[in-house]
Amino acid sequence: MNDVWFIVAGYAVILGGLALYAATLLRRLGVARRESGSPPDHGEDRE
Amino acid sequence: MKTRILGVVALVAVAAASVNALFIVPADLNQGDAQRIMYVHVPSAWLAYLSFGVTALAGVGYLWKRDLRLDHVAVSGAEIGVMFTAFAIWGGMMWGQPVWGVFWQWEDPRLTTTALLLALYVGYLLFRRLTDDPHRRAARAAVVGLVAAVDIPIVHFSVEWWRGLHQGPTIGSPERLLDPAAPMQFVTALLAMVGSFTIAWAWLMIRRYQLARAEWQIEDRARRGSVAEARQAALATRRAEEVAR
Amino acid sequence: MSGMRADLGIAWAIARKDAISELRGRQAAGSTLFFAALVLLLFGFALGPDTRRLAEAAPGLLWLAIVFGGLLTVARLHQIETDDGALDELARYPVERRAIYLGKAIAGLMAMLVLGGVLLPVVAILYGIDLLAAAPALLITLVLGAIGFAAVGTFYAGVTVRMRAREVMLPLLMLPVIAPLLLAAVKATAAALAGDPLDELAAWLQLLTGFDLVMLLAGAAGYGFLLEE
Repeated sequence: MNDVWFIVAGYAVILGGLALYAATLLRRLGVARRESGSPPDHGEDRE
Repeated sequence: MKTRILGVVALVAVAAASVNALFIVPADLNQGDAQRIMYVHVPSAWLAYLSFGVTALAGVGYLWKRDLRLDHVAVSGAEIGVMFTAFAIWGGMMWGQPVWGVFWQWEDPRLTTTALLLALYVGYLLFRRLTDDPHRRAARAAVVGLVAAVDIPIVHFSVEWWRGLHQGPTIGSPERLLDPAAPMQFVTALLAMVGSFTIAWAWLMIRRYQLARAEWQIEDRARRGSVAEARQAALATRRAEEVAR
Repeated sequence: MSGMRADLGIAWAIARKDAISELRGRQAAGSTLFFAALVLLLFGFALGPDTRRLAEAAPGLLWLAIVFGGLLTVARLHQIETDDGALDELARYPVERRAIYLGKAIAGLMAMLVLGGVLLPVVAILYGIDLLAAAPALLITLVLGAIGFAAVGTFYAGVTVRMRAREVMLPLLMLPVIAPLLLAAVKATAAALAGDPLDELAAWLQLLTGFDLVMLLAGAAGYGFLLEE
């Protein structure tokens, strides 16, 4: 089945993209919080 | 801490719903395995619309209350909405090639509208970046977001006519999954994906909002700092002048 | 009621002022017209020399040229205000903001009509199209399209007027919004030129009218927030 590759590509980009965005968001949040000097709530800048 | 629990729940839910949609639910009789892409495509599209709805409402709220926190909600919705819009388009293309034989179906109102949606909100985000004053940025972005939101139904309508006045409807649509005649398993698999994606969306929105707040604090402090610096410099000059006199 | 009439009076005064300054500073307006005609010529090189193919694509090419020329037009109409700080002056007058918007939109509409009026015969000559047979329908389409473009363009020109990189931001923000206008205007033009065989002209003109009304209302409501500081 040729279709399989389209499914793989579809899921990989969407789920992978979601994970990548979440990771980047956490990193950005960690940097911004450190810079703004507000206390990170219970080490949430790590995950 | 609560947000952290929400994040873990979202991760587990998305993973479980994806495994279900990929390996457990049977293939669609007509469209075969390609139909499985709908399980990620439909939630992405739904969350894109939800995000932009939040952005529009937060914009109205800002114009009314003039509270910058509402503007931070608006930018969070726009950024996350752009991401989900891109996912929806990608999913639509990966589904379109095996089922329709083309990546892009011009007369499909959903696909075409979504492409314009992406353009509208990428423009919105770029616009925000190029405006410095926070209140001016918030007010103008709110108005731009509102006009974009007003435009979306017209776009959809016009593309629908484009198709309707010219050719028959495009074959195969996401609604197949929500057809009352569809097997129960399909419906639950889709609802599970929609639910888990929505939890993930909520977590992303909270985190993105926190980021906007933190960035605002930095920006605000820098502005106050430069004001204080300028005041100090002015005082120093005056003192020097007095000494000179 | 008298407030409404006062608004219209102010709008008309602003539009007249813009029209006069456009006529006096002829070079800018003239070069926009020339640019749009040049775009039509270049489309001919890109798609020609088969005249039948050009005639088929003519409605789309005509409207694209109108869009490109129109972008320059609405940007210029706002630029002349900011170059000497006149927009700040205008915003300080005790008049309704929607009257200022309406005035700028009317000025934009007049400029767009001139643009369309110049481009139509150019399309007819270059792409070998018989305009006269469909003249009334074409004119209605042109007017409705120009109203919509001026309504949206005036709003976005106001949004981008004082920002960095506005040359890019104006088309970037505006082009996706006018996509339905482009679609409906091209379809209506094509239907009019073909003698409306599928009986769809009225539907597209209705869509254009609806777009115009919605965008005029949205632009008038939103423009006030742009002038405040």
